[in-house]
Amino acid sequence: MANAKVKKRRINSISVPAEIICHIVLILFCLLCIVPFVFVVIISFTSQDSIRAIGYSFFPKTTSFEAYNYVMKLGDQLWRSYFNSFFITVAGTFFTMLVTILYSYGLYRKDFKFRKFFTFWAFFTMLFGGGLAPTYVVCKTVLGLSDSYWAVIIPMLLNPFNIIVMRTFFQSSIPEELIDAAAIDGAGEYTTLFKIIIPISKPGIATVGLLSALAYWNEWFIPMLYIREAKFYPLQYLLMQMQTKVDFLVKNSSMIGAEASNIVSDLPSDSLRMALVVLIVVPIACAYPFFQRYIVSGLTIGSVKG
Amino acid sequence: MKKRILAVLLSCTMVLAAVGCGASSGGQVQIGADSGNSAQATSEGGDNAGAAEVDAASLDPVTLKMYFHGSNVTDDSKVMEEVNAYLKDKINVTLEPIWGTWGDFDQNAVLALQGGDDIDIYFTCSWSADEYNKFARDGYWVRLDNPENNLIEKYGQDLWNLLPEVLVNGATINGADGYGVYAVPGYKDIATQNCWDVNVDLLEKYGYTLDDIKNTDYYGFEEILKKVKEGEGKDFYPLLVEGAVLERMVDNTIIVTGDSATGNFMSYYLDPTDVSKPGKYGNKLVNKFETEEFKKFVDQTRKYYLEGFIDPAMGNKNQANDTRTNKQLSGEYLIGTQSYSLGYELQASQERGIHVEMVPCTDAYVDTTSSQGAMMAISTASKNPDRAMMFLNLLNTDPTLMTLLNYGVEDIHYTKNGDGTITFTEKRADYQPWTNGVGNVTILPPTDAQGVDFWDGFKSYYGAAKEIPVLGFAYDSSQMESQMGAVANVVDEYMLSLCTGTVDPEEKLPEFLKKLDDNGIKGIIDDANSQLDTFMAAKGQ
Amino acid sequence: MSKKRSGIKKTLFLTSMVLPGAIWFFFLRYLPMAGIVLAFKNYKVYPKNPTFWNNLMHSAWTGLKNFEFLFATTDSWIYIRNTICYNVLWIILGLVIAVAFAIMLHELTNKFVAKTYQTLMFFPYFLSWVVASYFLLAFLDPTRGLVDNFLLSKGLEKIDWYNTPKYWPVILTICNLWKNIGYSSILYLAAITGIDTTQYEAAAIDGATKWQQIFYVTIPNLRPMICILLIMNVGKIFNSDFGLFYTVPLNSGSLFSATQVIDTYIYRVLTATNNIGMSTAGGLLQNAVGFVCIMFANKVVKKIDEDSALF
Repeated sequence: MANAKVKKRRINSISVPAEIICHIVLILFCLLCIVPFVFVVIISFTSQDSIRAIGYSFFPKTTSFEAYNYVMKLGDQLWRSYFNSFFITVAGTFFTMLVTILYSYGLYRKDFKFRKFFTFWAFFTMLFGGGLAPTYVVCKTVLGLSDSYWAVIIPMLLNPFNIIVMRTFFQSSIPEELIDAAAIDGAGEYTTLFKIIIPISKPGIATVGLLSALAYWNEWFIPMLYIREAKFYPLQYLLMQMQTKVDFLVKNSSMIGAEASNIVSDLPSDSLRMALVVLIVVPIACAYPFFQRYIVSGLTIGSVKG
Repeated sequence: MKKRILAVLLSCTMVLAAVGCGASSGGQVQIGADSGNSAQATSEGGDNAGAAEVDAASLDPVTLKMYFHGSNVTDDSKVMEEVNAYLKDKINVTLEPIWGTWGDFDQNAVLALQGGDDIDIYFTCSWSADEYNKFARDGYWVRLDNPENNLIEKYGQDLWNLLPEVLVNGATINGADGYGVYAVPGYKDIATQNCWDVNVDLLEKYGYTLDDIKNTDYYGFEEILKKVKEGEGKDFYPLLVEGAVLERMVDNTIIVTGDSATGNFMSYYLDPTDVSKPGKYGNKLVNKFETEEFKKFVDQTRKYYLEGFIDPAMGNKNQANDTRTNKQLSGEYLIGTQSYSLGYELQASQERGIHVEMVPCTDAYVDTTSSQGAMMAISTASKNPDRAMMFLNLLNTDPTLMTLLNYGVEDIHYTKNGDGTITFTEKRADYQPWTNGVGNVTILPPTDAQGVDFWDGFKSYYGAAKEIPVLGFAYDSSQMESQMGAVANVVDEYMLSLCTGTVDPEEKLPEFLKKLDDNGIKGIIDDANSQLDTFMAAKGQ
Repeated sequence: MSKKRSGIKKTLFLTSMVLPGAIWFFFLRYLPMAGIVLAFKNYKVYPKNPTFWNNLMHSAWTGLKNFEFLFATTDSWIYIRNTICYNVLWIILGLVIAVAFAIMLHELTNKFVAKTYQTLMFFPYFLSWVVASYFLLAFLDPTRGLVDNFLLSKGLEKIDWYNTPKYWPVILTICNLWKNIGYSSILYLAAITGIDTTQYEAAAIDGATKWQQIFYVTIPNLRPMICILLIMNVGKIFNSDFGLFYTVPLNSGSLFSATQVIDTYIYRVLTATNNIGMSTAGGLLQNAVGFVCIMFANKVVKKIDEDSALF
């Protein structure tokens, strides 16, 4: 079997020159993508004196850990926030995927009576929204969201974009006969979905899962609105707070007076900005291959026949 | 009973402390009248506090939520325990502070206000997103001197007697309930004084003295700048400017409150020799960019730019702030622009490791923006405005409460020294509200860094600041919002680059003026002037 | 009879599946939509009981006054032109390049290398525009930038990048592609991975070359995904990525003719006026334009390929 696969691959693959061209194009693009990140890492280890003297540079005059030391001063809060972010991302992605799959499966089924209505129900919200203040009021007063993990997860639970993308994945990878076959075998709707459809839709699910995990991990605005207790701060918000504080003080120092310039002068502001990026990106970049396993190699549709 | 005795004792000591305080500031000449008032007021505060103690039990227990700006608080448990124990005896209030930070206050406070959250007291001022004047007009703040329910008269007498007159004048504005006071102004650094920030070490290196700067003006800096530029090399930019501030310094114009977010396209000219008088245009607002003064200024600035005195980075809004801060801290400048606050030159010298001196362009003056620099307003959504006012009165007059809330608990967050100053401990890192944003800072004990007579100097400097003729005026743009938006975009497009010389005024200034006209700046200026006339008439009475 | 009952049962089950999502949409999206009326009101506090809904109800109607600011400027044409032109250009470029990258990644023989490329391509997505703007600044800085220093060393005149609008359409396009290609190519790649491999085998047996397979198997299978993403992007034709247009050019005024788009214009107006009615009005106009465009695009797609349409 393994042998056959290798053979097949060799027969049906692109020519060597074409592959070389692909590699060159992709390598160039990847360099473009990774060099800025390397740059960020370098700046995060650059001393503030060096930045003041020669600006942002790939070759700093002196290196230092001052930005990281500054972040480490957060102490336990930092680790607590790492945990919060991790928890929110995992739990949030789980619930998001559950509800998204259920919803988009309904939209995928052509024989679902209310399919059109529910498609429009989701899609319409992609275009029209009430704006920030009304949403805030509903979440706060109607749903009572504040100071809990739910207060971050619920407002971002669904995204019509993901639902529609998920539906499209179902459309392009699941033959309708499969559902008919399952129905004839007497499988219930839920059994069909969980036992048959989900296992063969892994690439799509992994992709949407990745996108929503990223969204949860990167979110700082919603925690800012609904969370006031530091023990629930996710990482991104904790770090964003540092960042916005610095930006605000630098911008408004003339209004706030001596105190502001006092705080600013103590901050390794430029390298700090970059160190924060590093602290946020590294964990999620490490988690990335986990999702990717399903996306790139994927499970082939072989199970249709089996 | 025991508690009662304790309370009486406590209020007695407070009276004594207050009298002592008043006596020490009474020695100051400049604000003799004020300090007399404050002594009286504080002692009254002491009496009242005693009376309130008796009443406290009869008052219903109430929780007040208060939204602060600029806090850096990670652990307030100890402080709030003490504050609330103290408040319970005084006015039977439990305080629930919300420690807004520099980063999140603007967004969250505005949302909370628009959403009608049950927060009683908000920080507000002329530069935060919940801008005092606009939010007063839109009905978010309770009018404190409302004739039907005059909270100041009822609960705020002590506080009002203690505030300098300029502060009260600056806080009296046109709001939703008529011309009155809509927030308690904080007594902090309330004056504006624009100064040349001079790197004296560098200046002296090239054989000049501070007098050479003092005896000339912006148009006479050229020779000095040139010599230093030549000496320090091509990558050194001697003139470190904030475009908008520079324009105000050179032309002696002020920030007109109400168009600060639109880049201050309105100008009010002061008489530089006597800031309590209007300049050559009288009590009129003018289009900043049309005047001959502005033309002269941008031409000179362009010249300086082309000679390499100004860093090109100053022409980009996002880059300018960072660059300026960095160059200040590394001492890489000769002359900078600075909006001054007392003691800044010492602090700056220390931070930058160079000898910094400030050369003022005018005397210190109080304008609407600076007098509204930090305030506390009671939200119309508050269920207990009376108690909120009681609390604000107490907070601003009672040194014990103020010190507790601002500096934390004695022997935990700070320790007292023999000479009456205090020293912060390491714990202070967990509890740092923004001092100026809490209230009347003058009743705080001085820190060891400030020195024993800090508050005397403070009161004499700010007490001497003159009131400009249009103090209290804030432009209400609600009839002109579309035009304001259009003009704001045009100003954004041209102003900074013109004020830093990065573009050629010969070509851009006429283009700019035409575009401003096309977008209706004239209508706005006329509207503002008619408002100013009405305001001046009301003020004159 | 039994068939009908099973039909009802099926509807019931499927409805129960969409219900949690539907309820969420109701509370988190539809309820707040009441706030849209803010666009037609002068939002003021109702002093007697100032909750949001009371304020909303008691504020005065103002008709279309809140929309005026969008057209009160002599620059309306510039920001509308910029918004739409950039969007059209980027939808087309983004589609072609992302699909091409996805196919390339899929065709590489070495899966490990393909995975590595893909991971790297995703990195820009993590970097905020603020960070990206610093990176760009390191190259284009007027005094210490790498590009200008290079030009000077070659004896060429240096370029004042942040004051010269003509270069910015290109710079912004590169930035946009750099940030978004990784994201959209992963969607296409996942769709390709879902294609039944037997189709390729059948094509190969029939003697189709790799190119033919791409054109006759891969792309037709990608069609639903392409159409959906296209339709959804068309719906955002009147929106733009604020950070890209505001932060990346460092908010430089001299560049407005190339960088002013509707979102930056609205933002600048609102920092000046801070009027919630106007911000709602601006958003509503953007959405309404998007809605019309999306309905139109959906109709066109439906004509061509019924199944690929959004609904």
